[in-house]
Amino acid sequence: MGMSKPRRLGAVAAAAISVLVLAACGGSGGTTSGATGGKVDGTGKTLNVLMNVSAQYPQEQQAWFKEMGTKFKAETGADIQWETFATANDEMTRIQTSVVSGQGPDVYGLGTTFTPTAYSTGAFVKLGENEWNQLGGKDKFVPAALGISGPDESNHIGIPFVSRPFVMAYNTELLAAAGIDKPATTWDEFTAQAKKLTTGDQYGIAVAYKDNFDPWKYIWGMSIQAGNPLIDGDKVRLDDPITKKAYETYFGWVTKDKVVDPASVGWANPQALAAFAAGKAAYFPMTSPLSIPALDASAVKGKYKYALMPTVPPGETSNPSAGKPASSILSGDNLVVADYSKQKDLAFAFIKMITEKDVQLNYFKVFGQLPANQAAAKELASNEVIAPALDSGAKSVATPFSGAWGDVQLSLTNVVVQSIPDLSAGAVSDASLAQRLKDEQTKSQTALDRAKK
Amino acid sequence: MASSVTEPRPSDSSPAAGAAAGSGGPTPGEKRRKGLSEKNRPLWLLIPGGLLMTVVILVPLAMGIWMSLIDLDQYTLRRWVSAEFIGILNYIEAATSSDLLRSIWLSVSFAVISTVVTIPLGVAAAVVTQNAYRGRALVRSIFLIPYVLPSFVVASVWRTMLQPDGIVNVALTNIGMDGGLWLNGPNSYWTLVWVEIWAAWPFIYLLALSGLQAVDHEVHEASALDGALWWNKLRYVIFPYLKGPVSLAFLLATLNHINNFTLPYVLFGAPAPSDVNVLPILVYVTSFQSFRFGLSAAMAVVSLVLIAIPLFIYLRAVRLDVHEGGKK
Repeated sequence: MGMSKPRRLGAVAAAAISVLVLAACGGSGGTTSGATGGKVDGTGKTLNVLMNVSAQYPQEQQAWFKEMGTKFKAETGADIQWETFATANDEMTRIQTSVVSGQGPDVYGLGTTFTPTAYSTGAFVKLGENEWNQLGGKDKFVPAALGISGPDESNHIGIPFVSRPFVMAYNTELLAAAGIDKPATTWDEFTAQAKKLTTGDQYGIAVAYKDNFDPWKYIWGMSIQAGNPLIDGDKVRLDDPITKKAYETYFGWVTKDKVVDPASVGWANPQALAAFAAGKAAYFPMTSPLSIPALDASAVKGKYKYALMPTVPPGETSNPSAGKPASSILSGDNLVVADYSKQKDLAFAFIKMITEKDVQLNYFKVFGQLPANQAAAKELASNEVIAPALDSGAKSVATPFSGAWGDVQLSLTNVVVQSIPDLSAGAVSDASLAQRLKDEQTKSQTALDRAKK
Repeated sequence: MASSVTEPRPSDSSPAAGAAAGSGGPTPGEKRRKGLSEKNRPLWLLIPGGLLMTVVILVPLAMGIWMSLIDLDQYTLRRWVSAEFIGILNYIEAATSSDLLRSIWLSVSFAVISTVVTIPLGVAAAVVTQNAYRGRALVRSIFLIPYVLPSFVVASVWRTMLQPDGIVNVALTNIGMDGGLWLNGPNSYWTLVWVEIWAAWPFIYLLALSGLQAVDHEVHEASALDGALWWNKLRYVIFPYLKGPVSLAFLLATLNHINNFTLPYVLFGAPAPSDVNVLPILVYVTSFQSFRFGLSAAMAVVSLVLIAIPLFIYLRAVRLDVHEGGKK
């Protein structure tokens, strides 16, 4: 129990000190290994790769690492040293230390929404024509997946690896029993159907209000569908009536329409999934094909399908001219190459290898993550369960590419977190919602102003 | 950690000689005592410890203070050495446009309430298990369960139980009460206090027990001969012995509560409900979700100073560093 006084300060500074030590004993530089026209010769070299650990399939991941290691050795002669991170926090700490010290992994796997933050550090290779050629061409990838690779076409850093677009699951039996022949395509229709589907202890929708990530995706989605991208040039638009309407709809399911379990104000995503899997809810929005294993082992096996979430904003029957029919945030993993890496050619050869069609199809089979490789995605399109997810991937829209996005996301979530007591009590007053939006608007705008400098 | 309180001195009134022995070195003690003179003390023996402290505590501390004076964020991280020096601007921002002051209030009040409640619990538990009886070993072991469970586990279990449709609310409904919301809203503060108390009281119990063990058998006999009844004996004979260990426990427990990150983070997640936006959560969110490393360092420095002031006064007041006759 080390409780010395400067403990917390030490914790904040701990990363910095380790960085100093690393910086002191490590050189940095951007020299590339000898680029050749065709194959990259990596004999005697080791490529360092940092990826998200798979909590769901740890053994399969180790097996995949091994398989890729062997394949890479055969192709280039180089070895791979794999490292994993468990949480976004781990990853950020790792990036901080590496970025400052100029040494660490050559290749990083990043969540898509984290890519703008990584970009803002300026520590990753921008992809020019030469780099894309090394990867097998830009055309190799699903076009929508490139939407969050950089702020614009000429400033890409992220190479799409896998895609996890959001869809909604629905219980085919419950919908049929209520006389609904196809899932809703507008949010108003969705709410109306949910009312029909709510009887006794069965609810229309399973929603995770307490989740740390789900809520902001609803609000962002409904906002962009109505024409508010939230970050609009140098303005944050959280206090916009469009966004207020999105919150009212999202909160209304529990306060006004009563189409969700009142207990869901305390649920995270797995609990909402459990409610749907138990047949207690007809719709389960904001899920992905990663829920297949859980659903196939549950009471709803064979009785569920995926569909696109509604793409028409609340109160409308079609998207306004400024609105985009976004079905999901652009979700998945990107790969980036560190600027300090001394073996960039090798890094690109590695990324080329794991984004090839066969490897991507195999990755989908093992981990359930959709390919970013266009040919592989086309091949899966005939799979009835997967097709809606692929469709959603193609219709997904990237969240704003700004270093301030992390703060905006935090603000969107915080409005929900602070409204939960009101939700539980049965009503979120107009005044308190407006006040919360105003507060968060100020915070996010401050963050965006910093990004502009 | 209890080694520095092996000699509680209920009636000590001697001046606090050598109170400045902050670095753990031998204290001069009473001037006339025999032994090594001040001149010949082998101070060089402190070098390894001193070096370690410099690397582990002083350098990060200096780094933290430096970070709090520069504009360090995700945009400047890569060239942090040349990040703009902005003086006290981070401090001004922390005090005026962040939740810092409110978080400090939440943290301090939460820590003090938790400690004040756990002390009688811990002392009572220690008294109950002081005398030998059948099954005492079992009771002692059970008392330690909350203490040996990792914070993460404690928080996860309580979070599950305190869900809106969790076991606690189901039980309350069965006896005709409306549970309401425990993990959000005004109740969340009391949830945090409750779970902290649940997890932390055995620490007080342990230190109080160590204090009780130090009471000589003769003291018990003497008070029995004087005809002291149990309350008087406890109040006037036993409790004074506990003053040292319990004071130390008070100090350590309060600091531990203030520094507890895992419990609120796992119980409530981040961003936290505003009623439990305690200091460690605020610093975490500022650092790792907003990437304002300079600002969060300033917050950490402010909290350090705030904790250090009462701590210093307290250490002087209770003179934890005074040993009888200088012996260890």
